[in-house]
Amino acid sequence: MLQRDEQELLRWRVTFIGYVIVAALLVLAFGFWNHQIIQGTHYDQLAEQNRVRYVPLVAPRGRIYDRYHRLLADNRPSYNIVLIRENSPHTVQQTVGMLGRGLDIPVESLLERINRRRREPTFRPILLKEDVTVSDIAFVKAHRYELPEISVELQPRRRYTGGELAAHALGYVGEVTEAQLMTPEFVDFRSGDQIGQTGLERQYNSVLRGQDGFKRVIVNSFGREMGKLEEQEATPGNDLLTTIDLDLQRAAEDMLDGKLDPEHYPGEHMGAVVALDPRTGEILAMVSKPAFDPNLFATRISGANWSSLINDPGKPLQNRVIQSHFSPGSVFKVFMAAAGLETGVLNPLESIYCPGHATFYGHTFACDKREGHGTVSVYDAIRESCNVFFYTVGDRLRIDRISQYATMMGLGRKTGIDLGNEDPGLIPSTEWKQRVLKTKWYAGETISVAIGQGYVGVTPMQAAWAMGGLAMSGRLKQPHLVNPQELIKIGFPGGRVLEEEYPIHEETVDIVTKAMWGVVNEGGTGVRAKIEGFDVAGKTGTAQVVGKQSGLKGKDFKDNAWFVGFAPYRNPEIVVAAFVEHGGWGAEAAAPVVHAVMETYYKKKTGQFSDQITTIAQR
Amino acid sequence: MIEQLESKRFWHDFDWYLLGACLLLSLISLTEIYSATMNDPTQNYFLRQGAWVCAGIFAAFLVAGIDYHVLSEHIPWLYILSIGVLIYTLVLGRTVAGSKSWIAFGSVTFQPSEPIKMVVVIALARYLSELRSSKYMTLSQILKAAFICLLPMSLVALQGDLGTSLTYLPVIAVGLFIRGIRPAALVALVLAFVLVLPVSWLFLKDYQKERILTFAQPERDPLGKGYQVNQSKIAIGSGGLLGKGLFNGTQNQLGFLPTRHTDFIFSVVGEELGFVGVIGTLGLLAFIIFRSIYNAQTARDNLGLFIVMGVVGTYFFHLIVNVGMVIGFMPTTGIPLPFLSYGGSSVLTAFIALGLVICVRRCRYVN
Repeated sequence: MLQRDEQELLRWRVTFIGYVIVAALLVLAFGFWNHQIIQGTHYDQLAEQNRVRYVPLVAPRGRIYDRYHRLLADNRPSYNIVLIRENSPHTVQQTVGMLGRGLDIPVESLLERINRRRREPTFRPILLKEDVTVSDIAFVKAHRYELPEISVELQPRRRYTGGELAAHALGYVGEVTEAQLMTPEFVDFRSGDQIGQTGLERQYNSVLRGQDGFKRVIVNSFGREMGKLEEQEATPGNDLLTTIDLDLQRAAEDMLDGKLDPEHYPGEHMGAVVALDPRTGEILAMVSKPAFDPNLFATRISGANWSSLINDPGKPLQNRVIQSHFSPGSVFKVFMAAAGLETGVLNPLESIYCPGHATFYGHTFACDKREGHGTVSVYDAIRESCNVFFYTVGDRLRIDRISQYATMMGLGRKTGIDLGNEDPGLIPSTEWKQRVLKTKWYAGETISVAIGQGYVGVTPMQAAWAMGGLAMSGRLKQPHLVNPQELIKIGFPGGRVLEEEYPIHEETVDIVTKAMWGVVNEGGTGVRAKIEGFDVAGKTGTAQVVGKQSGLKGKDFKDNAWFVGFAPYRNPEIVVAAFVEHGGWGAEAAAPVVHAVMETYYKKKTGQFSDQITTIAQR
Repeated sequence: MIEQLESKRFWHDFDWYLLGACLLLSLISLTEIYSATMNDPTQNYFLRQGAWVCAGIFAAFLVAGIDYHVLSEHIPWLYILSIGVLIYTLVLGRTVAGSKSWIAFGSVTFQPSEPIKMVVVIALARYLSELRSSKYMTLSQILKAAFICLLPMSLVALQGDLGTSLTYLPVIAVGLFIRGIRPAALVALVLAFVLVLPVSWLFLKDYQKERILTFAQPERDPLGKGYQVNQSKIAIGSGGLLGKGLFNGTQNQLGFLPTRHTDFIFSVVGEELGFVGVIGTLGLLAFIIFRSIYNAQTARDNLGLFIVMGVVGTYFFHLIVNVGMVIGFMPTTGIPLPFLSYGGSSVLTAFIALGLVICVRRCRYVN
């Protein structure tokens, strides 16, 4: 047994242990005080973030229809695989390592996608793979316990029912770019949102886009939804009714592709066709070839597809109807005739002798007909497309009056169509040359301009618009693919279709349009556009790509072919401009295209049209 | 023994307050285990734990009924038997979560290393109380005392259950401290411990090293190894003053808390019952510890004192390591919280220990 004092010591040590325990318990209690009382709200937020997940609900875009409510673009359900870094049990590297194999995507490209958005809040889903296949979804579902941070998300995706059909008019959608997000137009968009990037999709993005919704759900530690706190459903975008007539659109495209009339018009052609109603400005068809499939953009476009579109020498992404200008060739003569008659430099009864060539300012300019047209009136000059006649008219007018009248009639300036990036074309003047080329105008240059060569450049849109305006006695209706009245109906500011009218004598219009009727109906250059019962009028154009004297041959140096026609030649209902790049003679390459569109229009009008084409587009 | 149980004296001297506190803790434990596992219908943790609590209460009465001097008399062969069981487990035991420290009886598994701690407590108490009078222990006495504890402890460590083997340390530490060792020896022991630590690093398994590194630097890998403690801190912190209410803890119910019915049961208490619940539960545990210390002070002899203080050391060590872990003051170890964590071995051992403390108190007036 211990001594008494030792026994005391022993009991004192026990008490000491008691003090140590008290001290330790106080430290613990303080720890809980700190966590639960002082930092309680902070941890409460963390717990909320744990359990509540914000799920965006993507609104489907509005559908796009042709003028008869036939579908051009709608949406299809598609699934994306996304990563939500919040609460992930893995590092990004681990996740990507496991995922890369299952989804068959290189780890580096997954990491790159994640890194691009690494500064965003961790609860925001990061898109890893879009429009996934059933087997991808199966992989994710099968591994949802190992990879709770990965989930499958529904996203409506754009579908263009006709593929390449009307691709340039419709445009395409794509993820909003960083640069776009900086602009005021896209201020209420977020990275990852789909927006219209070109065409109608871009122009009417605010109409077509819906209002995204969201839901806040309770999730467990595996990310599984256990309940819903709040939901705001997505509001789909507004449907857009365009002025396009699918039948005319299809006829024009099939014709250029050599499919409509392969016997007489075989092979695929580059070029542009635009049909519009000159009375209203409504665009009935808009074709640019080569085209692209906008469906390629509905999913993030692959690098290979993108570079093949960008590097294609045919420039398939360019809308040739409004974004490129070309020498109009003889089409321009119509406007020269009108300008000459209006200014009085050309007498309606006057005849000019064509020996096959003419000399101005020391240069000899040739006519297409070597032996000459003989004595020609303005009627014959247009019908037979005599150069010498118009050299003379041009020389009398001088460049600035040509410029003034051409511009007035709708050439060399934007038409105001409801599509972006419109090319203004080019009508030269002394002022223009001084300003841009810093040299003075030579009178000899006017002679080329008079037959639509030289500096003159016209977009197919302008050609159709100006021709329609002339046929309508100087009334120009702003061309459009969507009637502003339709926008007002669905509650958007629509405005009015702009209209302008330039002064022109009815007699002038009569002479010029009658001559163009002759072009088609009285053995002129446009006989291939003739339709029995439908008074088609028009003018061919064959524009040199390189000077004849250069001697270059081959497809790329073949002339560009034009035909701009309207019908009926009195009280016109439709104008069609066809431009066939390197097509050769306007009479052979372009007139049949206009004929195809006009014939479809006429058949529809007279009830002879079978709607076979319709069903193709609706499939 | 039966006579004793029947005698009025037994019931009169029985420490009802201590038992009451333990039963209250068991009630909290059962409620929160139910809450933590109600979404998992495959395992009936609640009923299993209830059965173990009943078995524990029975064991507590049984142990309390036997005079601890009788236990002390029989301790040599109990100790040898225990070593035998540990060796058996080491060789033929079942491996659970990397530790070969389990024995299976049908569908019931048991960890003998837990209750054997109490055998060590009694064995050490007997050795220390029978030492001849002297102010300080001699070196050979220290070594012998240490051997009593370190032999089973190293067997447990060999089973791969480092956490449980560590819980043997407070038994020897408290025993040596109370019996008295020279300040120099005390310093030497602490130094030796500190020196052994880096060496023992080499013997740690990778996951154990990772745990310690994570403890030192929780932001090292917040989604990986630090995940458990982070989620536990979120659970506790978000409980606030009054808690989210029973069965309403989001961290608990939605599965963000790992091993929430065993090692992290106290996080569930913190989340659902708040600071008030935490202080109440810690208060009950503190009451048990201080009541035991009081019982040690008033024990009839030093054998009783050493037995009770061994129990106190074990209780306290479990408490400080487990509760310290759930708020991030201690590294992650799989050490259960007495009376609260789910687990038969742990509950049974806690009640046996309780029985010892009650027994020592009951016998204080016996001549």
